[in-house]
Amino acid sequence: MWKYSKILMDHFMNPRNSGQLPNPDAHSEVGSPQCGDAMTLDLRVDDQDRISDIRFMTFGCAGAIAAASALTELARGKTLEDALSITNDQIVEYLGGMPEEKYHCSVMGHEALTGAVADFRSRKERVRRHLEELMKDPPEELHRELTRCRPELVHVHPSRVVLRITGSEAGRLRDVLERELTARVGRKMEVEVSS
Amino acid sequence: MKAYLDNNATTRMAPEVLDAMMPFLTERFGNPSSFHSFGSGVMEEIEAAREEVAALIGAGPEEIVFTSGGTESDNTALLGGCAINPLKPGLVTSKVEHPAVMVTAKRLRDGGAPVEFAEVRGDGTLDMDSLGALVSGRTGLVSLMMANNETGVIFPIAEAARMAHEAGALLHTDAVQAVGKVSVNVKSMGIDLLSLSAHKFHGPKGIGALYIGDGIDLPPLIIGGHQENGRRGGTYNAPGIIGLGAAARLAREELSGETDLTGEMLRRMEKSILDSCPGSRIAGGKAPRLPNTSTVLFRGVESEAVMTLLDIEGICVSSGSACSTGDESPSHVLTAMGIDPREANTAIRFSISRYTSQREVDHLLEVLPPIIDRLRKISPYAD
Repeated sequence: MWKYSKILMDHFMNPRNSGQLPNPDAHSEVGSPQCGDAMTLDLRVDDQDRISDIRFMTFGCAGAIAAASALTELARGKTLEDALSITNDQIVEYLGGMPEEKYHCSVMGHEALTGAVADFRSRKERVRRHLEELMKDPPEELHRELTRCRPELVHVHPSRVVLRITGSEAGRLRDVLERELTARVGRKMEVEVSS
Repeated sequence: MKAYLDNNATTRMAPEVLDAMMPFLTERFGNPSSFHSFGSGVMEEIEAAREEVAALIGAGPEEIVFTSGGTESDNTALLGGCAINPLKPGLVTSKVEHPAVMVTAKRLRDGGAPVEFAEVRGDGTLDMDSLGALVSGRTGLVSLMMANNETGVIFPIAEAARMAHEAGALLHTDAVQAVGKVSVNVKSMGIDLLSLSAHKFHGPKGIGALYIGDGIDLPPLIIGGHQENGRRGGTYNAPGIIGLGAAARLAREELSGETDLTGEMLRRMEKSILDSCPGSRIAGGKAPRLPNTSTVLFRGVESEAVMTLLDIEGICVSSGSACSTGDESPSHVLTAMGIDPREANTAIRFSISRYTSQREVDHLLEVLPPIIDRLRKISPYAD
């Protein structure tokens, strides 16, 4: 048996934030080809780029499971930028130390987080692209709406866009945009309007 | 409660073995090679032990050389066996050997000897076509384990011996996991060299033997004194040898019995595990196997995590896991069987002995299913 700390054993026996999220805003899967360990990570991210929910699944030893659990605890509530700066040493320290031979087990969590953040950014970029295309070359119905009011982009999110619209037709425009965007992005999109 | 289910790693020493050894750890400390009768009296006991070991494997006592254990026996057999005839320096072994053979084989290969590794099939059995294709006129030694330490799969040593002899090569078998668990007869199986180790069948650690068939002039590995007729130098490990002799006698008595209690216990245990942990399978489950060994692949759960939870419950098992040994790669045995690295890391080995109680097995069967279930719940590969 490895000499695991009490904290590490607690995270192994009672992993925090294990599982999966329905329709996550970001997802990643990483694995170590040599030892076969693998991990998935799901994120829910709010409009301030803050991780509001995080879930992991791990195929790995006690060290790998505890490290994934610790990572989710450290990352939850942080902005993506801050979460990315979590180091392996911080994970190991959080767990009250880890046998040196097991350090590589903590690496996977960091890789999974990096992957999830990259996934979040590319999903976001994809929504932005679809939105731009939609605005540039709108179908007839939308075109009609857009001639009445011109929305200003406030925020893009993988499942949500926030627009600032002035005018009384805002509600109708939102419905049309939401339908068109959902069809193009391929997942349920919400359009929020603020005035 | 404790459950010791790791008998392929090592076994409990039989009380009779300890009793037999005790005088030689205390009053009877004389050197068997001494002239005086205080020492030479011990030699008589050593010769009696030699006869017990010989009888266990159907050999003559003069064909038994005591060593420090399985690894030394394997090293001596391989390094010596490939050095007997300079025209036949080649070694043919398999891809699933114990490191005591594997590492020695690679050393020989690095030294320029032609060394080949025969394949195994998906069920862990030896691929005889692969073996046949590799044995050639340059082969001096064919070395194959009798039973695999991880899966318990038994190789057809008699058939391999015929193949080796047709090519003018010797047949060595690492029988460390087989001796004491199944009947072994070096003569009827055509074995030239055989390694065995006492602690795998309720003898003490640090003692083993190498059977060297009559007429084979095997160069020694350990040189120095004239002990063992110059075949192995070093002061006789008298307590160890006496212990090995006692363990051999007990094993022979056990094997001559008609009932296979260990085998029955293992079969019941396997059935219960497979029933209570669906989606699991036994590595080499359909192949001829030792009656005490079972390696189970628990889909979706990494073996070290399982072992860690079992350890908390006092249950001792083992795995071919990469992580638990600090090794980089998973079990070479399971991967040679075509099992991918990830699945190989779900393998847990259960190995019982004649001292395993039904209570120990029941404790495992009670504790294991919820452990597997719990780890599958957080595994991305459980389905």
